[in-house]
Amino acid sequence: MRLRRLTVMLAEAREGFLMAMAALAAHKLRAALTLLGVVVGVFSIIVTMTAMRVLQSNIERELSQLGAHTFTVDKWPAISFEGPEGWEKYFRRKPLTLQLQRTLRDRATLAAAVGAEMDLWRGEASSPYAKTDPDVLLDGITPEVLACKGWNVEAGRGLLAADVDGGRFVCLLGNKLAGKLFPHGSAVGQTIKFDGVRYAVIGVLEASTSMGEGQDNFLAVPITLGLNRYGAVRRSNLTLLVQARDQASYDDCVEQVRGVLRIARKVQPADPDDFEISSNDSLITQFRNLTLAVRIGMAVISSIALLAAGIGIMNIMLVSVTERTREIGIRRAVGAKKRNIMTQFILEAIVLCEVGGAVGVVLGILGGNVTAWFFEVPPTIPVDWVILGLVICSIVGIVFGTYPAYKAANLDPIDSLRYE
Amino acid sequence: MNLLTQLRKRERLCFKWIRIGHIEVCEGHRISWAAIRANKLRATLTTLGIVIGIVTVTLMGTAIQGLNRAFLESVSAIGTDVLYIQKHPWFHDEPWWKLIKRREIYLPDGRSFIRNANPAWHIALQSAGIRTLRHGKNVASGVVLIGNTEEGAITDGLSLKAGRYFTASEVEGSRPVCVLGADIARSFFPNGDAIGSKLRIDDTSFEVIGVLEKRGKFLGLENLDNTAHIPVTRLARGFVFWPGIRIVVRVGGLSALEDSKEEVRGVMRKVRRLAPGEADDFSVNSTEALISAFNRMGRIIAGVGLFITGLSLFVGGIGIMNIMFVSVTERTREIGIRKAVGAKRRAILIQFLIEAATICLIGGLIGLAITAAATLIISRFFPVTMSVPLAVLALLVSALTGVIAGFLPAWRAARMNPVDALRAE
Repeated sequence: MRLRRLTVMLAEAREGFLMAMAALAAHKLRAALTLLGVVVGVFSIIVTMTAMRVLQSNIERELSQLGAHTFTVDKWPAISFEGPEGWEKYFRRKPLTLQLQRTLRDRATLAAAVGAEMDLWRGEASSPYAKTDPDVLLDGITPEVLACKGWNVEAGRGLLAADVDGGRFVCLLGNKLAGKLFPHGSAVGQTIKFDGVRYAVIGVLEASTSMGEGQDNFLAVPITLGLNRYGAVRRSNLTLLVQARDQASYDDCVEQVRGVLRIARKVQPADPDDFEISSNDSLITQFRNLTLAVRIGMAVISSIALLAAGIGIMNIMLVSVTERTREIGIRRAVGAKKRNIMTQFILEAIVLCEVGGAVGVVLGILGGNVTAWFFEVPPTIPVDWVILGLVICSIVGIVFGTYPAYKAANLDPIDSLRYE
Repeated sequence: MNLLTQLRKRERLCFKWIRIGHIEVCEGHRISWAAIRANKLRATLTTLGIVIGIVTVTLMGTAIQGLNRAFLESVSAIGTDVLYIQKHPWFHDEPWWKLIKRREIYLPDGRSFIRNANPAWHIALQSAGIRTLRHGKNVASGVVLIGNTEEGAITDGLSLKAGRYFTASEVEGSRPVCVLGADIARSFFPNGDAIGSKLRIDDTSFEVIGVLEKRGKFLGLENLDNTAHIPVTRLARGFVFWPGIRIVVRVGGLSALEDSKEEVRGVMRKVRRLAPGEADDFSVNSTEALISAFNRMGRIIAGVGLFITGLSLFVGGIGIMNIMFVSVTERTREIGIRKAVGAKRRAILIQFLIEAATICLIGGLIGLAITAAATLIISRFFPVTMSVPLAVLALLVSALTGVIAGFLPAWRAARMNPVDALRAE
């Protein structure tokens, strides 16, 4: 019995679909124009969202400078809107020292690696073969920073604890800088000069995935050496990097580090932290919160076109119902139920919307990725918005198709047969 | 004689044409109205499509216009005939490491500039810092403390509500006197007894000698009234790390701005003792650069915004076209009869064009009304106003949408063969 009902329903749906298609085929121009409306409506949403997504993922990649499950501890927050007073508050915090990094390394048992890093200087690097602009970043690091930042050594070796302890004059080169200074061979084992000081190149890092201008244009030296030479310039405030063992223990690790730091820096129980903990995710979340209003605004503005298209569909469906009054009357007279008529017209609306939606999605993705091509970043397909766009399309079809379908279904068969 | 008759004939013909045209338009109008009234729901929905399009486009236009106006007002409040000699340019393409090696501009440079400058110019030497002000129990922190010289009131276009600006001798002697911005004065001295009172900036006592008029916010962001002015020489004493000054020159008269810029540059090169051929180690900035940078950005925003909102108007237009095609198909017989009794192609064309344009114009009017209401609400948070040109433009755009979208259907109707049209069912 149930199977039979299912078969009947399927047959009804099939019939409705075929009739809908026939109706569309009968009025090609009309269908094409209605379709064009939906295409433009969906295109408007998808093109905007794809372009936004391209820009957003570009910025997020810039923000993701850290390796897996890693967070940083800093004196300054990444983004602050507190004005000069807030600035003063942060300014008065004690600097994070190398001593603190050692304490943290010993006491934070949940951390896989605790590193310290400091941007020391920007200057000119030179090798016997080439000279750079004075915009090369000198980065003071501990060996753990390689793991925390997800840096991989391409040639040579990484930094050793002995290099840091001894304050040796050695350096790791960023990929771009190595290519610039040693265009014809390996940099490892050679000597470079930065800011008048010679450093032996012990390794070259792999190119980073980030697309930014200043990426890979740096050299890293042992932090002890850096502090000796440049420490007083920035009052020796370091950034601490902590890598948790795995994602499962990440939150525990953050809490443990917070506790250890509060004790080490003698923060009273009721006082707020005198340091900022941030990670890729927290930075990205902050960025997303900042741009939330813009994104919502763009979504709303771009979906207005789809609303207009929906109204167009409703209008054309109403016309279609009026024109086919007699057909509806005949179908009712030979036994079609209200439900069948309703299905037929709603299906017609949905088919229109879905076909238009699919074309709109394709065009929108192509159009939106023009921005990716323009900014020379990898193209994106906003899968969630594609799905959402198609769902919204169906909803538009159902919502704006229902009233005409209802009107058609409730026509009096006798009147509609008599209708001319 | 012959010529005259010909002219008269042509004149008569001309009048006839106008009369016929007039009749055709009137008739077309009447028929369109009847058609619109006959299908109320259909007309309403079509209009709604246009209303949505017009509202979004007009709102976007209003917002962009508001942004532009706010910016221009802010900029002209500072003054457009003012040049700023600073270490850094406001906008530059040069790499930063070339710029940071430039020499800082200090007070002696400024004094030397004034000695060498054109006496027609008003010149001020300025610097700024952020300080905390105290008066009794009142504390205002984060106040922008501006060090200025006696002509600063002229170069910055300041007007005083009470008291006076400081004098040359007060600047010379680095006297502890200050002129307060409107917000600070109101919060410290609500009774208006500011002049002659003492207040403390950081830990030094200053006498209030003047209060400025309210100036509002720059770009709706930076409050220009949360400031206090003191002699720049006094500010120089309070700084541990002296960050240099900027020389502000009001040249008077926009027409000579480019020439004056060169003259200012020449004087400054002399002050800096730069040899011919040597590059400038300072920049002469003006608000022009600011305006052109803003315009560049504004054009991008306007382009993107109008494109996205234009899409909804486009969809509305497609709706009109579609419905007009339906209308033409439905009224095939009517068209056939009209043609059979002598209506010209033009008459049919005009009839349908008027129908489309009428729907669009009504949509435009309703859209404008909605936009005006929305603008009133938005203007509480954001400086926007509806302007008459924009409203006219919106109506024109809506009428044009109707004409463009209606043309193809109308053309199809006009070109129907009357015989076929009469036979149509």
